[in-house]
Amino acid sequence: MAQNKMTLSWREKSVLRVQNWIGWLSFPIWGSAVIAVMRWQFGYRVDNLAEVRKRYEQIVESATGPVLLCVNHLTKFDSVILNWSLASLWSYFSDFEKFSWNMPERTRYRGHPLYHPLCYLGQCFPIERGGSRDSVKKSMDKVKYLLGKGHIVTLFPEGRRSETGRIDTEGYSYGAGRLINQLENCTAVCVYLRGHNQKGSSSHPPRGARFQVKLDAFQPTSVHKGLRASRDIAAQVIEKMNQMETAYFAACGQ
Amino acid sequence: MNQDEVFNKIVTILSKYSKADIAAENITMETSILDDLKINSARLVDIILDFEDEFEIEVDDDDADAVATVSDGVKLIMAKL
Repeated sequence: MAQNKMTLSWREKSVLRVQNWIGWLSFPIWGSAVIAVMRWQFGYRVDNLAEVRKRYEQIVESATGPVLLCVNHLTKFDSVILNWSLASLWSYFSDFEKFSWNMPERTRYRGHPLYHPLCYLGQCFPIERGGSRDSVKKSMDKVKYLLGKGHIVTLFPEGRRSETGRIDTEGYSYGAGRLINQLENCTAVCVYLRGHNQKGSSSHPPRGARFQVKLDAFQPTSVHKGLRASRDIAAQVIEKMNQMETAYFAACGQ
Repeated sequence: MNQDEVFNKIVTILSKYSKADIAAENITMETSILDDLKINSARLVDIILDFEDEFEIEVDDDDADAVATVSDGVKLIMAKL
């Protein structure tokens, strides 16, 4: 396991703590509103919701270290639908650490009158895709800090929305592997989330979409060290997600 | 191994990964690996692992983060040889 020096200042940690606190305090209002919009305005449904939530609860309860959600990426609503799927409003309010943090690209929501405040309340902090090494490292340090404090973080291991609608097993990022390699006993919870009528990637899922959410947790390890270990672990995560996708399409008869 | 030899070997490695329409002879010490050669950060890791194999060195995460240009790569390797 590689250890890197963390560069997060006291102020930066405080900013995250305050954001978490404000998000939790106002959660009954904005959390209910977001779910109401998804259910009644967009008509979204999640298959076997109780089963998915029970599985998530089991994984979180049994984890002995940090929990990182590794999710396939098809639409910009993925993290919203994911958080809705994984626990009830009451469950999140009573234990807000279960509500996963997320790192959307800054330009996707900055200045938007609705998305910007919702992203803040919904535990997002921005990353700059293709940004400087320092800004990438700062984002990684925030993730490590939050995971170290028992929070759960969502990552999209492919590094971007899938262009083909399928898991990108070639051009994926090694960020998830690097993070897991630097954390002790990190549980990677691979999540395959897809609307039944979602053909490829899109901005929003189509109205009336029914989602299937599958979870599979494991602790990736590598016999290698450093960068080679990061690459190896990233490949294991992507392979697991690819297997979940194959199972999804096999079950759909495709 | 001198700096020119290291540079030439790096150019050979970079040429395998570059998606930019840039000829190997146009790669200079100032060439940005990510921007000018249009290589993404994941492939940059692959490149640095190629450096490790080619020059029989070990590069840690922080050193790898410091590599942005060809010159950075040359300096990193020269320091570890």
